[in-house]
Amino acid sequence: MTPSGFSLVLQQTTAIARRILTEYLRQRRTLIFWAVFPALMLLLFGLIYGANPSMPGSMDTTPAGILIGAALFFSCLGGTVSIIVAERERRTLRRLLVSPLSPAAYFLGVVLALSFVAFCQTVIVFALAYAMGARYRGDVTLGATIVALSVFAFVGLGFFFGARFAKRAEDVNGPVAAFGVPLLVLAGTWFPVSLLPKFLLQIAWFDPVFHMNEALKGVSGRGLGWTDLSASLIFLAAFAAVSLALGIESYRRMLTEEKRS
Amino acid sequence: MSAVRFVGLRKSFGDRRVLDGLDFSIARAEVYGLLGPNGSGKSTAINILCNLLDADSGAVEIAGRPASPAARSVIGFCPQEIALYKDLFPAENLRFFADIYGVPKADAAGRIAELIRLFGFERFARIPVSELSGGWQRRLNIAVALVHSPEILVLDEPTSALDLEARHELWRTIEALKKRGMTVLLTTHHLDEAEQLCSRIGVMKNGRIAREGSVSELLSLVPAKAIALIEVGDTAALLARASQLGWGVRRYAGKIGCLLPQQVALEEVVRALSGIGVSSVSLQRVSLEQAYFEILQEGREPPSTNPDDSTLAQGSEAPTPVSRPTA
Repeated sequence: MTPSGFSLVLQQTTAIARRILTEYLRQRRTLIFWAVFPALMLLLFGLIYGANPSMPGSMDTTPAGILIGAALFFSCLGGTVSIIVAERERRTLRRLLVSPLSPAAYFLGVVLALSFVAFCQTVIVFALAYAMGARYRGDVTLGATIVALSVFAFVGLGFFFGARFAKRAEDVNGPVAAFGVPLLVLAGTWFPVSLLPKFLLQIAWFDPVFHMNEALKGVSGRGLGWTDLSASLIFLAAFAAVSLALGIESYRRMLTEEKRS
Repeated sequence: MSAVRFVGLRKSFGDRRVLDGLDFSIARAEVYGLLGPNGSGKSTAINILCNLLDADSGAVEIAGRPASPAARSVIGFCPQEIALYKDLFPAENLRFFADIYGVPKADAAGRIAELIRLFGFERFARIPVSELSGGWQRRLNIAVALVHSPEILVLDEPTSALDLEARHELWRTIEALKKRGMTVLLTTHHLDEAEQLCSRIGVMKNGRIAREGSVSELLSLVPAKAIALIEVGDTAALLARASQLGWGVRRYAGKIGCLLPQQVALEEVVRALSGIGVSSVSLQRVSLEQAYFEILQEGREPPSTNPDDSTLAQGSEAPTPVSRPTA
């Protein structure tokens, strides 16, 4: 019997996710970058903390910043933009438009594939950090929730940027570097936010990456719980919801425009 | 009942009317060729059929029903561009699109194996699409359109940018589909391709079907049994001689073509044209190309009656009818 409704969406979602993951496995280069970059950053910070024990922050909070800023930011935000741009450039988007693929299934397929990538990155980063002496101190479920919200937020933003602004692959890197890297720095990804001047700290509070970092550093490095992190969690959940909604709407608009082109 | 029917379809982009009351239908198990110059509205018609565009007015019917998204699931669309995932193997591309079209898991494996056999992909099982030649990619492009067992296959210029050998290979594949009773709508700029593959052809002009019929019906529009293609220094002399002989004259791709009212031997043509400085003569059967040009030329004013006019020397998509000198 031909699947319909929910079972069709499920079949389409898993097809999209499986395809994206197979492409990553075949290309290898992207996966290697996504694994090697955070690993190298972790190693560097491990050496820096090892040589400067009096530095603010600690090795225990470092993996959180590395995971958000050197892993998930590139895989989930940059990855989503690249997936959408590639779909346009290969003209497969047009082929998909003719098919009964639902926009929701496409969106969920991308989220599923990149969630799997994010899970692998999380395991790599925390396993390496453990080997270097860092310890995860908090609730694993809370940590997983923060990672999941960060993935949703980045994928939603990726859909927004990919669907609205990036027509070609060359359009991707410039904006990601120009806007993304300052946001990472402002969020205290590479060093403790206590080093920021007061006015920058006030601005940083509106940076979603700041809340990803603060929440994940809090649970993993300092063992904070749900209540301690409620402000960042609420901000993060709201931001993830807004960015997902924005991403879905931008994607729908892109499909309409693609139909007219 | 028709497999597909276009009824009074109209579509404009801004001030430019691209479809102007397009009416035609495609019978079941028929290979219908949609021809026409660039901008005549072929792609717009296909995009409306495949739900990529909305018509301003008119309708498309599929198997007698309005073309709702559900009705459109019986269409397999093969776009002009190669639209495949090039890091995946051929079978992985087929599996992906089978899932997107909701082919039940139990049927998908058999369907994919059947297409792999039909299109000859057995030896490319573990090769990414990016490493296949253009011809094989084009084949896979068609195979993907068939993965959900559609009743109607839409092929938008399937052999563009292919070398001759690859084109002939692809023709064999389309002929195999034709033998299986597949309904096909084919657009192409290769008239030999349409002549070879199509059971019926519609020629579009100005957003509507200008002429429609079987290949032999369209060939009968050319008032000739054969064409003599002639290179000559003195065009006026040739026109005068053709006029004396009662031959119509056209210009095809820089050469003058004389429309011969009956089959004649090459020697007879050479003899008939002796003394006017002919440098080469070749005889051709009447082909769809000439019929196509006749159709495009219908209703147009001849651009010039002067054989020395520069317009005669320029190649154009439509032939230039050469009027006989009056004196």
